[in-house]
Amino acid sequence: MSEIAIATEKLTRTFGALTAVDAIDLKVQAGCFFGFLGPNGAGKSTTIKMLTGLLGPTSGRMELLGLDFEKHPVEVKRQIGVVPEGMGLFERLTGVEYLRFVGRMYGLDRATTEKRAQELLEFMQLADREKTLIADYSHGMKKKLALAAAVIHGPRILFLDEPFEGVDALAAGALKALLGRMTERGVTIFLTSHVLEIVERLCSHVAIIHQGRLVAQGSLEELRAGVAGSEGDSKTLEQIFLSIVGQSGAEQARLEELTWLT
Amino acid sequence: MADVARVPGVPAQLRLIAGLRWSLLKNGLRQKNNRWDLVGVIVAGVFGALLVVGLCFAFFAGAYALLAKNRASWMALLFWAIFLWWQVFPVFVAGFGANFEFKTLLRFPLSRRTFYLLGLGYGFADFAAVSAICWLAAMVLGAAVARPEVLPVMAAVSVLFVLINVTLERLIGSWLEKILARRKTRELFIGLFVLSMVSLNFLNPVLQRYGRAASPKILEYLPYLAWLPGSLAGSAVAGAVHGDPRAFLLGTAGLFVWLVVTSGLLWRRFAAQYRGEEISESAAPTPTKRNTASAAAAEEARGQNSNGEWLPLVPATVAAVVLKEFRYLTRNGMAFLTLLLPPIMVVFFTLQFGKGSALREHSLKPEMFFPAIMAYLILILISPAYNAFAYEGKGIQTYFMAPLRFQDVLMGKNLFLAALITVELSLSLALLVWRVGWPSAAMFVATIGAGAFAVMGQLTIANWSSLSFPKKMEIGKMKGQRNSGIAVWTALGVQIVVAAICTVIILAGRLLGNAWVPAMAFTGLTVAAAGGYAASLGPLSRLAEKKRELLIETLCR
Repeated sequence: MSEIAIATEKLTRTFGALTAVDAIDLKVQAGCFFGFLGPNGAGKSTTIKMLTGLLGPTSGRMELLGLDFEKHPVEVKRQIGVVPEGMGLFERLTGVEYLRFVGRMYGLDRATTEKRAQELLEFMQLADREKTLIADYSHGMKKKLALAAAVIHGPRILFLDEPFEGVDALAAGALKALLGRMTERGVTIFLTSHVLEIVERLCSHVAIIHQGRLVAQGSLEELRAGVAGSEGDSKTLEQIFLSIVGQSGAEQARLEELTWLT
Repeated sequence: MADVARVPGVPAQLRLIAGLRWSLLKNGLRQKNNRWDLVGVIVAGVFGALLVVGLCFAFFAGAYALLAKNRASWMALLFWAIFLWWQVFPVFVAGFGANFEFKTLLRFPLSRRTFYLLGLGYGFADFAAVSAICWLAAMVLGAAVARPEVLPVMAAVSVLFVLINVTLERLIGSWLEKILARRKTRELFIGLFVLSMVSLNFLNPVLQRYGRAASPKILEYLPYLAWLPGSLAGSAVAGAVHGDPRAFLLGTAGLFVWLVVTSGLLWRRFAAQYRGEEISESAAPTPTKRNTASAAAAEEARGQNSNGEWLPLVPATVAAVVLKEFRYLTRNGMAFLTLLLPPIMVVFFTLQFGKGSALREHSLKPEMFFPAIMAYLILILISPAYNAFAYEGKGIQTYFMAPLRFQDVLMGKNLFLAALITVELSLSLALLVWRVGWPSAAMFVATIGAGAFAVMGQLTIANWSSLSFPKKMEIGKMKGQRNSGIAVWTALGVQIVVAAICTVIILAGRLLGNAWVPAMAFTGLTVAAAGGYAASLGPLSRLAEKKRELLIETLCR
């Protein structure tokens, strides 16, 4: 039985009358590339924020690498890396200054920070923007920098909220290779993305959240097996996703009404 | 093939533009964060209406009086007033207002001519233009009542004047749009703007000192103003009134030339926009390819690559925050400019009230000047501490993701601010000594002690205020860049209390006849405040954890 990297128990978060995350029980094995899916407003980002300490849960427990987050927040944060929604960059720093800053905030010594910052900037193809403020970066460059900052301290769990959004195909390929290498070395990657093809290609395990509730969890094979019908084995993740979150075909009916478009 | 029946004509598009501007205004009111903002807008609206109506009467009376008393040559003054208002007010507002990029209209199917006309039409639909046209109409009416035969000339000159002003205003506006679209130029523009506003404080002392000597020089240059639209319009009207066809023709021809030139330039600007000129940030700067390894080594050699070791007595995380604060300051034009304020204000006050000032009979002694100036400067310099996370933006998340106690962040910020205040006050004190001389040793020490107490005492409460009432601010913007109301009142209350304590102690020293009593009292208070500060860091760290959602939500918005 492999180690559990992330475990939640009845994790809940409410905002007034709205229950954004409703008693979810997640289990993510260490070294797993985990895709966390859901439609807009399903509770994905809220869950990631809770798992990374950016948002407190209303109730429930979270354990990361066997440590209770509430009791050991600093120890947990030392071992995780995050690319949050909005990326969390200090836009008035240059890329290298930001990486140096983050490295020091995570307790790396100066020499290590410097070495890793330069290597990451080279890898992300941002080294030639040494004097450019992050405020002047394109969206894709910011995304790459945020990812560099998330891995500079060598985290054991990496949380990525839409990491490939706005990143060009070339860089996306390099990032995927980097993430693949990290999982080979035992790093757990917890990823949300709207691009189901990417999730299908990268992730070994998937969970689907819908209206705050966890509606499916397991390996891709397990999810396929769980889908009703004889064609379950050949279904794509998109088809599985749509069947689980309850696509009723209403969109097709509404599309029929837009006759002037076709 | 798109099934558009027909492209709307220019009048219909002008109506659409007017509707757009009205919607922007209406929605701007709807988005006010609280009712006090709305009250502020309503008060400003009433004030604006009163200004326009009141000045309509003034322009009417002015034109009437000048023509009735046969002083038509003075009409130029009225035209000048309108000209300056029309051209300067929109520039003033541009820094504060929401910047609507007119060229976004290019997504619609417009010809270049239509785009130009819409641009002009857009220029008619702003406050400066509407008010100026109202005043011009009042002038025409006043002139017509005084001298009915002048009406055709006044009307024609006014129409020309309106066209020149709207064209010139749109020309300046389109250049401003270009400047404000780019971060660096926008910040530079706003910085220069603020600096020029601050410099206005010096107008009075400078005029008092050099006014008489400079006036002949100024008079020498006045005739050159005759070639500007205000003077030309006045000259045309005066020529018509006085039966001087040469003056009338020269004035009118001059206005035509202005109209042709400004129209040509505006056509070129709009044509550049029409062709798809890229003016926004998305035009990425040219990369400068460097060997990063050698660049890093070079920086290391210069000692600029330090990330904390240059502050050996503090934890690396605190030092990293200090360094980050320093970098943010150097990249925040506005904040950087506020550092110029203390020495500028010292020079200003000593010019006004110091020995050798224009107000010699009210000149202040160093004994009073030192504590007073120190209190004023601390008031200016410490106010950012009450909203210390204002410029963090989405970066605030980094503090909560990193494995650290939040007190390290607070200490880093406070340490940097304290160092900055120390440098600023040292510079200002040196200037004070130069301008007004030394105070007594006891008063000097007491002033330093009072300053230390005032800063140390306020930092604890300022930290609490920063965590409890955060307000996002953006570098390079002026609109809405102020602390939350509660933070402002908190700062004011604390500063009044601290100032009262300091005043009582200084007066007590005088009453007791021992000038060193305040120095000793302030030393004791500073030690106590430092103890309170140290004790507050733990609870404030826990408060930060409680307030993280508020901070993230407010600053990442």
